[in-house]
Amino acid sequence: MTSTPFEGRWLLALDGRDLPEKKLIGGKGWSIAHMLRQGLPVPPAFVITTEACAAYLQSGELPQGLDEELLSAMHWLEEETGRTYGRGESPLLVSVRSGAAISMPGMMDTVLNLGINAETMQAFADECGDDRFACDTYRRFHELYGEIVLKATIPELGASEALTAWRTRIEEAAGQTIPETPFGQLKATIEAVFRSWTSRRAKRYRKHHGIPDDLGTAVTVQAMVFGNLDENSGTGVLFSRNPLTGEPVPYGEYLRCAQGEDVVSGKFTPQHLDDMQSAVPDAYTALINAAGKLESSNRDVQDIEFTVQHGKLYLLQARTAKRSPAAAVRIAVDMFREGVIGIEDAIRRINPDQVHSILSPRLGDGAADKAQVVASGLGVSHGVGIGTVVTDADEAERRAHDGEDVVLATATTSPDDVHGMLVARAVITEQGGSTSHAAVVGRALGLPSVVGCGEGSISGLQGEVVTVDGEHGKVYRGALAVVTPCETDDGRLAQLLEWAREHSPLAVYRPDEAPQDTLDLEANDDAADPANLPALIQGARGARGGAIASEQGVKAALDAGLEFIVAEPTLPALLAAIHTGGTQESSPSREND
Amino acid sequence: MQDLQLVMHGIAVKKYATVEDICSITGLKERSVSDLVVEAVTKGRANEANGKYLLTPTGQITLKSAYTKAYGALRSDGEFIAAYTDFERVNNDLKQAITDWQTIELGGQTVANDHSDADYDAAVIDRIGDIDERVEGVLTRLGQHVPRLLRYREKLLSALEQAEDGDIRWVSDATIESYHTVWFELHEDLLRIMDREREES
Repeated sequence: MTSTPFEGRWLLALDGRDLPEKKLIGGKGWSIAHMLRQGLPVPPAFVITTEACAAYLQSGELPQGLDEELLSAMHWLEEETGRTYGRGESPLLVSVRSGAAISMPGMMDTVLNLGINAETMQAFADECGDDRFACDTYRRFHELYGEIVLKATIPELGASEALTAWRTRIEEAAGQTIPETPFGQLKATIEAVFRSWTSRRAKRYRKHHGIPDDLGTAVTVQAMVFGNLDENSGTGVLFSRNPLTGEPVPYGEYLRCAQGEDVVSGKFTPQHLDDMQSAVPDAYTALINAAGKLESSNRDVQDIEFTVQHGKLYLLQARTAKRSPAAAVRIAVDMFREGVIGIEDAIRRINPDQVHSILSPRLGDGAADKAQVVASGLGVSHGVGIGTVVTDADEAERRAHDGEDVVLATATTSPDDVHGMLVARAVITEQGGSTSHAAVVGRALGLPSVVGCGEGSISGLQGEVVTVDGEHGKVYRGALAVVTPCETDDGRLAQLLEWAREHSPLAVYRPDEAPQDTLDLEANDDAADPANLPALIQGARGARGGAIASEQGVKAALDAGLEFIVAEPTLPALLAAIHTGGTQESSPSREND
Repeated sequence: MQDLQLVMHGIAVKKYATVEDICSITGLKERSVSDLVVEAVTKGRANEANGKYLLTPTGQITLKSAYTKAYGALRSDGEFIAAYTDFERVNNDLKQAITDWQTIELGGQTVANDHSDADYDAAVIDRIGDIDERVEGVLTRLGQHVPRLLRYREKLLSALEQAEDGDIRWVSDATIESYHTVWFELHEDLLRIMDREREES
């Protein structure tokens, strides 16, 4: 390995030439190095190694010589970016992240925008032609630094308050001072990362998972890039395939002359990727290529955050994309057909809950066409619920107790209403958004919920039978037709089913295929609790009913050596059997069961 | 507040409260709570159904005036108000974290979190851990004026640690004393102390 001026005892610049050990540079540094190795464009970065952390943990202070090495490394970053840290006309701003070889809770969050101070704020404002943005950058840095490094509750910046006065108030709230120079801030942030290694959560997690306490964390310092410098700059998100449908085409959004926060804030409407193609065609081509490269090297769909600065593409983060249950099925089967993954991988990527979700009851095709919408709001918890509208939780509880299907409709809900929500088929409210109590509790209970239908919009519905569509936020008059999809309707699902049948250690029959000697637990109330199953199914050849088809039920069936169970649909139980049966190791969540 | 009022307060925060619930929220001993709920029922302050207690309208009014007597001065105490205001700010972050726990963004659309991504879940629990560190300081300040509020620290931490250990029901399950359940009760408690209404967003 060629030695370089910015590679010292305690830190390493990431330049894509080699791939240092994860143990030394941590997971985050490693993934940057890994992307650089593949020739992908990533903002320049260096890492302070876990060895520096170990030294800090021993002595309680940053190791001797780190100062000089930090200065050289920052100088290298300045050269790489053509910008200067804490001074000058084109200020260099950096982010600081913690990163152990194994990621764990309690580690310090990312601090952004280090390098901004009164002087560079002005330079930055001139450069991006946006005083407000420069000022926001200053504010965001101090908020993050105060909250994350100083662990203070940050006072709100007054509308006409001077930034320096506000900064003083943060110091008062924290009972500590913020270092004057950006270099001092950098050192203090690095020290805070090392300290977080010994936080309550981190220590507890290591103990729980048997991770040695002396492993230590690395610190990644990375140059920040800006998408709001001119019309040839911008920011966006790209999925290598559509995460909602699974369709194998890149899917994403782009916002010209904007920084990441602008997209998140919802103040601007991001544009389709086509807009990026016409604004910055070279960066677009580079992005599509990068997405393909990342997808094939990771063998899964990627979710990529990126920024374009002066027409040049930078990848900020790439991770395995989250996807809807329907997309998960399509992608797993497609990737097998493309030869990217094997059947085992394809099956293991789908969990029973996702299949249940795909097969959950929904409004029949056309059922809603002629139906009258009597209220509409924000659909915050999926599913379809049908019942008589009651406007009081106590009444809901009473009537549900008598066997009636009820829909709870109130202005808002509070803990006073939870007992009514527990028994309702759906909940609708007049006020509130996606974080309101009704939304939060409705989702926790898996209860179809529509919130924020508007004041006075639902009190008139009392006593009526309605159908609540918690996905689309609609409340219909009357009981609409509900259909339950079948596991063999969809070609890809049917393919998965075929594979799952071949690979499952437990046979799962549909009710019409059930052998004569099946133990029937249907009439046994105790069988509804999976904990009772082991005793009940002892010695049986196969079983049906009760909780036998649940994930725990399947596990009990495997443990008891059953040959088969009976379930409808069969795929979730087959997947549960494959997921539990294949490997006998228990996940952390099972240890307490 | 006197113990009888405290028991009524426990019923009010929980609404349908068992003796166990009331003990958990007030920190009173089970024996005295068992006696006090009977007293509340005898005095027409509460009703009992299936072992659960519920305040009567008279009980609600009595409790409201007990709050004014016990906490009236606090409602204009600068230090307490400042701590309460900080709680409301942390509350916004917690609400967002719980929303992120329950829903995920998929290409601009919000869909239910099916908890198939353990890393995503772990990151949210970690964020709740950050929030917990912040609320701990706020609770310490509030507890200097109303010491019984300090109970929420242990209750929150206990729920958090169960979630951290992998039993994710302890994040927001409404049927157990999950992190969100306890937080919501704490918020309800503070609103009652401050005589304020919950703001829905």
